[in-house]
Amino acid sequence: MSNMSRRSALQLTSGMAVLGTLALAGCGRGDDTAATASAKPVDSSPAKGTVKVWAPQGDADVLAKVIKPFKAANPDLDVKFTLIPNAEYYTKLQSAIAAGKGPDLAQFFPEAQAQFLDPSILRPVPDGLVEPDSFFKSLWDAGVVKDVAYTVPWYAYTYALVYRSDLAEKAGVKAPTTWAATVPFLKALQDAGAAHGLGADIGWDIFNGQDVAMYAWQAGGSLRSADGKWTLDTPATVDALKFNASFFTSGTADPSGPTFLDAQPYFVSGRTACMITGPWVVGQLDTAAKKTGWTTSHVATAPLPAGSSGSTSFAGGGTWGVLASSGNADASWKLVRHLATPSTQVAQYKAYSSLPAVVSAWDDPAIADQPLLDAFLTQMKTTRAFPQVSTWQQVATRLGKEMEGVAKGTQSAEKAAAKVQAYAESLGSGTE
Amino acid sequence: MTSVVPASPRKDRRPRGARRTAVAWLFLAPFTLVFLLYTAVPTVAALGFSLTDLRGMDLRHPFAVDLVGFDNYLRLFRDDSFLRDLLNTGLFVAVGVPLTMGIGLALALALDSGIRRLRGVFRTVFFAPVVTNIVAVALIWQYAFHANGTVNEVFGAVGFAGPNWLDDPDLAMPVVILLGIWRNFGYAMVLFLAGLQAVPRDVYEAAAIDGAGRWRQLRHITLPLLVPTTLVVTVLLTVFYLQVFDEPYLLTNGGPLGSTESVALYTYRQFGAGEFGVSSAASFVTLLLIGLVSVVQFRLLRPRT
Repeated sequence: MSNMSRRSALQLTSGMAVLGTLALAGCGRGDDTAATASAKPVDSSPAKGTVKVWAPQGDADVLAKVIKPFKAANPDLDVKFTLIPNAEYYTKLQSAIAAGKGPDLAQFFPEAQAQFLDPSILRPVPDGLVEPDSFFKSLWDAGVVKDVAYTVPWYAYTYALVYRSDLAEKAGVKAPTTWAATVPFLKALQDAGAAHGLGADIGWDIFNGQDVAMYAWQAGGSLRSADGKWTLDTPATVDALKFNASFFTSGTADPSGPTFLDAQPYFVSGRTACMITGPWVVGQLDTAAKKTGWTTSHVATAPLPAGSSGSTSFAGGGTWGVLASSGNADASWKLVRHLATPSTQVAQYKAYSSLPAVVSAWDDPAIADQPLLDAFLTQMKTTRAFPQVSTWQQVATRLGKEMEGVAKGTQSAEKAAAKVQAYAESLGSGTE
Repeated sequence: MTSVVPASPRKDRRPRGARRTAVAWLFLAPFTLVFLLYTAVPTVAALGFSLTDLRGMDLRHPFAVDLVGFDNYLRLFRDDSFLRDLLNTGLFVAVGVPLTMGIGLALALALDSGIRRLRGVFRTVFFAPVVTNIVAVALIWQYAFHANGTVNEVFGAVGFAGPNWLDDPDLAMPVVILLGIWRNFGYAMVLFLAGLQAVPRDVYEAAAIDGAGRWRQLRHITLPLLVPTTLVVTVLLTVFYLQVFDEPYLLTNGGPLGSTESVALYTYRQFGAGEFGVSSAASFVTLLLIGLVSVVQFRLLRPRT
């Protein structure tokens, strides 16, 4: 390359750097694009056109089958599903939204959807589309920001105790109703033959963080103050961290396992005797035991033990949101409305065991006649929504990470809480 | 008798001047385009992003974010996790590079001299880890180093209770580094073998005639002549270990207690969390580190003339 060419190349490179930086510096973050959304009511005429639906693989796998009656009633509608691997779902959705090539309708997770609740991303739920009071309150609340609802709940779950009833009977103990009774209960299960009382989650990730948050609520804490400041270095969070750690320090849970895929085999084989987990487990244990009816004769469920402020849990599940960029919002909302009807929710339960987000659908015999689900219904009624701020997932992940140190005795609960608070403060809410 | 044909002025078929430059650019164009599109522009963009508070959903309006100067860099160096990850990465380099090179060189020397007949077989065997799928390898290593895994079964067979390798903060890092070494020593070996084969045989013959033994030949001929290869191997391995990601991610996911978390893993996590500004800043710190270390290595190891 001649000197001239080299100089040209340098000029080109430095020019790009300067241009890039200037462009970024030139304009500060202004107001978001004005919402193209309209909250006007959706009529009852048949849905038409094409609706592109994105959802993570899992509960949505059976949707094409579940919405067959809706398709039959709306013959001019074409619903195109794209199912994306769970781990990549939000990344792909974010990229698509950023590129303006998102779907019409997308599924979200109420425990991690806050970053999308913005009029430039999602349309507000039209007036009268669904009845907010028909859903579990925390699930509905998870989609509401500044009194505007952006998502409609679809399926629901929460955590409860799933334990080996045969071992509890042998030990002569009943499910604990308080924090104080929890470790003794787990120890009794160990005495009855389990290697460890609790098969605790040892991912030290966002799910552990959610557990700590849930315990903080049970201890009377809140994750954010009324004026929007993080409140994670409170005595309630410290108590929550200590409670979670008590399973490991008491020897009732093993910090080395089971890992995620081992949880059910360990439980079935008796290596662990209790799990703090979701309702899907109830339907999977027979398979893990390779014996139909094993769950009925070996398993019981109970609401979570209460802390000083009660037995609060968090609301998880799935919700639907119509993207602001959707070209067929009308048909999308009609599909959402159909998915929120009790009969569709029961059909979804029968097809995939997704428990309904509509409270009345739990009265259907398909669900009501399953006693092991009672504890989950009880627990669902005392759930709370995680903070609707976009940095919550990062904060929860950090909580989970710091939890590891407390559980393994390498740092105090107080120090962990202070570190998470400092981290959360440095992040803010992600919107200011 | 051969007739001599008078030499006619040979026509120079090479292009000249501006045409020559144009042809050069024509051949360079494909690479230049790919380089600009996939390396230069993203690098410059990442530098710009590292000076902003760009987050996930801001990608809708990437030029409407706030310029925060060096705040992201300051945030990195105020973050205990990042500082720990920097130290971890330093440990990967400090332990991984010399051991990988040492094993690679030792095997190359062995293959080049003693066991020539089986060189092809051994070269294949030792190079296999380089081309084996790391995901599959990491899974096998996870099983092997599990508390009840193969390694501890071997320990158990000789009456010694093995530790829980991957759940012990003091032991997890050595296992992860070991995986890195296992994966890379074949690469170093092949490069050293190429270097060794470039050393003229007559130099050894001359040295042997002068009475130099094998050790003296190694010390005074082989190693000095391998300096250019050593430089290349050192720089390549250092860059690899400074960017180490697969091994800690797949084997321990950075744990336990963050003891195997690397800067690349930190960068990845920040990106996944939508913190594009911080993630870009972390990637730039890595870039600077690689540049700095490479310059130092080139200065220390470049062949003296």
